[in-house]
Amino acid sequence: MNEVIATQNLTRHFSRGRVKALQGVSVSVASGKIFGLLGPNGAGKTTFIKILLGLQRPDTGTATLFGIPASDPSARKHVGYLPENHRFPEFLTGAALLDYCGRLSGMRDKQTRLQRAEILLKRVKMWEWRSTRTKKYSKGMVQRLGLAQALLHDPQLIFLDEPTDGVDPIGRKEIRDLLLELKQEGKTIFLNSHLLSEVEMICDEVAILHKGQLLRQGTVHELTTSDKRYRLHAHIGDAELLQQIRTRATTAEAQNGHLDVVVSNVQSLNDVIDLLRQHQVLIQAIMPHRQSLEDSFFQTIQGAGTSDLNNVFKTDKAEQEVSV
Amino acid sequence: MNKIWAVSYYTFRESLARKTFIGFFIISSIVLAILLLAINIDAVDGALAGLSIFGKEARGIDMELSKLVIGIEVGLATALFTAGLFFSIFATASLVPNMLDKGNIDWLLAKPISREALLVGRYLGGLLVVAFNVFYLVAGAWLILSIKTGVWHLPFLLSGVLIIAIFAVIYAFMVFLGVSVQNSAVAIMGAYLIMFFSPMLVERDRIYALLSNKIWQWLLDGIYYLTPRTFEVGVMVKDTVLMEPIASWSPIWHSLALGVLFFSSAVLLLKRKNF
Repeated sequence: MNEVIATQNLTRHFSRGRVKALQGVSVSVASGKIFGLLGPNGAGKTTFIKILLGLQRPDTGTATLFGIPASDPSARKHVGYLPENHRFPEFLTGAALLDYCGRLSGMRDKQTRLQRAEILLKRVKMWEWRSTRTKKYSKGMVQRLGLAQALLHDPQLIFLDEPTDGVDPIGRKEIRDLLLELKQEGKTIFLNSHLLSEVEMICDEVAILHKGQLLRQGTVHELTTSDKRYRLHAHIGDAELLQQIRTRATTAEAQNGHLDVVVSNVQSLNDVIDLLRQHQVLIQAIMPHRQSLEDSFFQTIQGAGTSDLNNVFKTDKAEQEVSV
Repeated sequence: MNKIWAVSYYTFRESLARKTFIGFFIISSIVLAILLLAINIDAVDGALAGLSIFGKEARGIDMELSKLVIGIEVGLATALFTAGLFFSIFATASLVPNMLDKGNIDWLLAKPISREALLVGRYLGGLLVVAFNVFYLVAGAWLILSIKTGVWHLPFLLSGVLIIAIFAVIYAFMVFLGVSVQNSAVAIMGAYLIMFFSPMLVERDRIYALLSNKIWQWLLDGIYYLTPRTFEVGVMVKDTVLMEPIASWSPIWHSLALGVLFFSSAVLLLKRKNF
């Protein structure tokens, strides 16, 4: 797979170095993936995206899109972007805005612009509002239009900053489906979202950024699968056996025909299995415990030593509750 | 070039959507309507035979027809140079700061367009708006007066070019301020200050007599050479319409050179800016 986004040791400080927005961040995104960037407020996510789009320059390090330096406008030729809290010209209608965006993106042929605009406005369910000025749009409608303008010139790489912000649950589902369709078409999507459940549903790979540092990067499967926690489908009726298991595992709990164990390594897991077999316990399945991306995220951030975690995520949790 | 034109075109449309542009256009249209309908000039063999304004005959006006036409044109050119410029500054000052607003600049710069192209497009769009209005009034007035009187006085059209040229310089200064501080009010104040102090700077020799310290003289000289010579260009506009000899074209060249400097500085500043 080709590397679409590549950053090397990106550093960006503000306020004469007092605010370290990015500290040596190196990320690589392959084409055709949906990549999610996670992090609490102030983690440096927006700064990272802005550097990739040439809106900001890093203090040190390099950033490339399709192998072209991010500061070069030609790097954005095949890039679509939906910014967070965007403000489109209110005097323009939805259709006129798309025409403007098409021209700025180098779409010279008017007929092509019109055709693409029609396809996308229908796709984001804004076709009937095409002749209405954007100042009359609701937040969700502006967001849908923003998505259409980001996709107008059929970009290969799409940056979406909180794409479902202000969109109702049905709209969120439609946007998620659209992103998955785009992935099927081979597009690369860089998603910045607070909604961890949403990220978990559609992203192939995620990176967790905190206080300007990249804490983890991997596939959703890697981040949500623990290599120390397992669930064994086996009936443990003997309390004494459970006590013996606990001498080999860090923790062990048996209930409803399951045995949940936390072990320090794979050898310990095998010791537990050996013990069960010695006691003629039938093991139907051994499954690594899978936690939600949210749990994994919180663990990662807590591991990095965030004291005020509850405050940081108050907003995010509220948003998720609404989305459910 | 296509992208620059797109930015200019949509800047023009943005101005059209604003009330200030419509106000400018309506005032210009009223002036033209007055010239067309309210002023009746009877010309016989190139001489003024009669003049009536709003149906009332103006008595006691005994002058050559060409002088009457030039007199009206001087009045229009002077009004355009003062009130028209003040209005144009007000109408265009927010174009660049608005473009640089958070939420607006993000999606614009994410397009494959260079920052310089974006600023050039925005600048040309604003200039186009003012040029459109100035030419609408100047060319319209010239045509009406010429058809009514048979006096085809071309220098009036040149005065329109001079007014647009000096606006281009002032607008470049506003663009520079707009990029620097991203504030429309500061851009307006800066432009008005230039226009306000320009007559004083021309007469700085008289001010020197009141100043004891040489430093003040150098300072005034410095300001004079680093600011557009709007007052002197205004005199040139009047002299052009009156067909008086122009003593020196240096005020307009000097101002245009400064305009290029202001705009280049704005581009450099924008290229270095983080959003």
